[in-house]
Amino acid sequence: MTRTHRSAALLAALILLLAACGGADADDGAATGADSPDTEAAEAGGEPIVIGAIFDLSGATADVGTPFADGAKAYFEWVNSTGGIEGRPVELLNADYAYDVANAEQLYSQYVSDGAVAFSGWGTGDTEALRTRVTSDEVPFVSASYSEELTDPAETPYNFVVALSYSDQMRVALRHISDTAGGHAEVAVFHHDSPFGESPLEDGETYVQEQGLDIGYRAYAMPAEATDYIGQLTQASQQGAQYAIIQNVSSPAATLARNIAEQGLDMTVVCLNWCGDELFIELAGDAAEGALGVLPWTPPGQADDLGPAGEYLEEQGTSPEDAGLHFTQGWYQVSVIGEGIRKVITDGQEVTGPNIKTALEEMDPYDTPVSEPIDFTADDHAGMDAAQVWEVQDGQWVSVSDAITP
Amino acid sequence: MTTFLQLTITGLSNGAILALAALGFALIYKATGVINFAQGEFLLIGAYAIFAAVASYGLHWSLAVLVAVVLAVILGLLIERSVLRPMIGESAVAVIMVTIGLAAVLRAIVQILFGTTPRRMPSFIPTGSVSVGDVTLPLERLFAIGLALIVMVAFSLFFTRSRYGIAMRAVADDQQAALTVGISVRRVFALAWALAAVSAVVGGLLVANITGVSAGIAEFGLVVFPVVILGGLDSILGTIVGGFVIGLLVQYTAGYISGGLSQVIPFIALVVILMVRPYGLFGEVRIERV
Amino acid sequence: MATIATGVYHRTYASELALRHTRVEYVRLALAALVLVLLPFFATPYWMTVANQIGIAVVGAIGLNILVGYTGQISLGTGGFLAVGAYTSGILVARLGVPTIVAVVVAVLVTALVGGFFGLPALRLKGLYLAIATIASQVIILYVVRTWEVVTGGTDSLVVPPPDLFGFQFDSNFRWYWIIMACAALAAMAARNLFRVGLGRAFMAIRDQDIAAESIGIDVVRYKLLAFAVSSGFIGLAGALTAHYRNIVTWERFTLEVSILYLAMIIVGGLGSVAGSVYGATFMIVVPAWITQFAQDVRGQLALLSRQLPAIQLGVFGLIIVLFLLFEPRGLNRIWQRVKDYFRLWPFRY
Repeated sequence: MTRTHRSAALLAALILLLAACGGADADDGAATGADSPDTEAAEAGGEPIVIGAIFDLSGATADVGTPFADGAKAYFEWVNSTGGIEGRPVELLNADYAYDVANAEQLYSQYVSDGAVAFSGWGTGDTEALRTRVTSDEVPFVSASYSEELTDPAETPYNFVVALSYSDQMRVALRHISDTAGGHAEVAVFHHDSPFGESPLEDGETYVQEQGLDIGYRAYAMPAEATDYIGQLTQASQQGAQYAIIQNVSSPAATLARNIAEQGLDMTVVCLNWCGDELFIELAGDAAEGALGVLPWTPPGQADDLGPAGEYLEEQGTSPEDAGLHFTQGWYQVSVIGEGIRKVITDGQEVTGPNIKTALEEMDPYDTPVSEPIDFTADDHAGMDAAQVWEVQDGQWVSVSDAITP
Repeated sequence: MTTFLQLTITGLSNGAILALAALGFALIYKATGVINFAQGEFLLIGAYAIFAAVASYGLHWSLAVLVAVVLAVILGLLIERSVLRPMIGESAVAVIMVTIGLAAVLRAIVQILFGTTPRRMPSFIPTGSVSVGDVTLPLERLFAIGLALIVMVAFSLFFTRSRYGIAMRAVADDQQAALTVGISVRRVFALAWALAAVSAVVGGLLVANITGVSAGIAEFGLVVFPVVILGGLDSILGTIVGGFVIGLLVQYTAGYISGGLSQVIPFIALVVILMVRPYGLFGEVRIERV
Repeated sequence: MATIATGVYHRTYASELALRHTRVEYVRLALAALVLVLLPFFATPYWMTVANQIGIAVVGAIGLNILVGYTGQISLGTGGFLAVGAYTSGILVARLGVPTIVAVVVAVLVTALVGGFFGLPALRLKGLYLAIATIASQVIILYVVRTWEVVTGGTDSLVVPPPDLFGFQFDSNFRWYWIIMACAALAAMAARNLFRVGLGRAFMAIRDQDIAAESIGIDVVRYKLLAFAVSSGFIGLAGALTAHYRNIVTWERFTLEVSILYLAMIIVGGLGSVAGSVYGATFMIVVPAWITQFAQDVRGQLALLSRQLPAIQLGVFGLIIVLFLLFEPRGLNRIWQRVKDYFRLWPFRY
């Protein structure tokens, strides 16, 4: 037994030594946490443009975060393989931050100190926590958080909200409900238990009052560890709720939809953008039929032509439906950054944070195959101002209205 | 009244599943004295095994359950032999940490094999509901209660009527005396882990039907602790009762107070029980006092 | 059995109690100090953040080891106590404008009080029951943090401005390194001294034979609660340092996973040893950082590794714990002792 112990101890010591050596090598200043672009960037020969990005691949929102990350990374791969942005390759520094704010902050500091001139963020919590630093660092920050607080340049000059804000989505939903309900409508708002979930709540309530809509409005939190939402639904049915607006990601939203169906409740589910996708339909199954959604991004199966994203997917042999809504969303969202940088270069300017910011504000409306045109101004960093309402019919999202401006 | 009934049925069905999961935990603790922090991951593996068998290999669900049970038994035996056997005699902290480490490894394996995207468990439990007066009783949940009860009755019979069951109770009571009488403690340990894995497979299946197949199933494992403490670690009946009580408590809190509190209430109940009656409702009085 | 160097004589009690006896030990200490002092001038920013993380973790791990390794109590509530320390200090500075040093001291005291309170179950419970009670304390503390919005801000992040001490603005890794290392060194020395004194020995007596300890006059109730309080004080310091170093405090930083990580640190490092806490903290933080590094470097050849990185980190974490417990339950400390003994005794085997 002593012999086994000794050899085990020596083996452990060896491993430790290797780890230490590995650490020492890394100390020689390699760019850490870097995700270097494919070596097929042979055509792009200019000075690389460094962009930082954080994704949620294993945390609370990983179900939608993973396809989004795939789309975003695919865009930059495609850019590099087609000659870069005006001849300059993009170096994307990125990592999985598991929806943990402190991780996000650490990665942000690291990438900015490694020279990132723009940043693609993800969650509401971390985006709001990084606001002040983003402003003082002058790094244009495009995140997947569509929180309305980020759209006012007076408060957050460097944050850009590409899609319709959560509050606007809520307003569109409420407007649609008011128009189609034919009388009084009771609305229960189920939301993720986090800043992301709470983002549109107050604005929704204010909208009902300001517009004088005949809507009863109550919010219910969906705790992360819950396996079902029967309790909240019981309270909602006592409220008499006919509509359940869900501000959450697909997986819990699907569970809620299934709970509604199995309890035989007469509630129409209205998904905001993060649960309005094919994953929701797949997980909820039959319970998804008839659900409504405010989708600023068109489901890929419904778009006529997916542009470069579609070509890329074809080359990879993946159908757009398999890649999912969030793939094309990720692609086109980060392409906004790409377009801003392109404008900076074609204007003959240096690629710096402040210049990219100005370029984004002065850019012509940017038309993507999967959304309304995206347009920023110096007074308004909300990229979109309208969205269509969709409905699940036969397991597909189908548009049931024109673009509604709240 | 209907709200109350609705919550009660949901609470009982969740409680039944909790009781199943807790059963495995209590089994292992009773027989081997090991605190298995990996119980949640056993549920996870059970659920994914059935999912993989049905979705990827197209097996009929009864066959899939059988395959999953066999796999779970093998896994349980393997773990007992390779990880837990060398840890006999080590301090409680060490054993707890080993099961925690094991839980991490199991979760990582599942993540590597299946990814993080949640899936839908192919449903072979009859969907639809039964209406009794104003109350809608989803068939899925009634089925869950029924299945869990059957499994638990089977276990009870096993422990009271079969030779190995009685042997396990003997080992749980006093290992040395059991050895003297000629019971193979090694076999009993292996059996305990195997049975715990089996109950986890069934539990995992039921959980996955409600929440979908994803890593979230493992979180269920944490609520097992209040259940076993409430019921009393020494008693199978206590575990079952504890499961139902906690299940109901969570649902009533969610329905009448708030969703957030309902997640914490099992632990508050736990603290209360530990202060008032630490050996649980049905357990033996064995706690030391300073 | 750890061997003792020959030729060491003590003529006074003081020299017998000394922490180091031989010249070799002093040389090793000097080398370690040299490395620590020179590190910030040569490390990349990434490894500086890792070093700072290690420093904070060392403080927390020492605290936990006092409770688990020296007093024999199981505690899975470390995350909760870190949260108490971080939020107390953060709120005092961010909302009430209290000077940072005062805030940190208050945070330490508050956490010690809270820890003492949550140590009450330990008076009646042992083993599994105590472990579960501490899990409950962890869950309940986090729930309070998340819902007591008036005080903690609920699920929003608490932003704490970088501190201004002695005329310096502490917002860079380099500057923080000195503070954190100073705190870690102080914590280590305090802990070492604790166990040369009656209080520490009482803790160890409780761990070894608490009934016998009671019979020779050690008030087990008082000392158990004190153990929880002292341990939580250290952990509170680690939490407060985190709040000011990171500038962003969220509840997600203090979950059960963190408690498990700290427990893993002291188990891998070695229970009942301050040096073990240091080794364990360093190991459990460096290994994931190194794996991430490695995954990036081999990204071209083994893309699988980088895609599955979170799962691999998790798996390696679990594997480390299991393998250490199977093959060397007394941890890195024991392994290092064996290495020293090997050289000390060479060419003999024992």
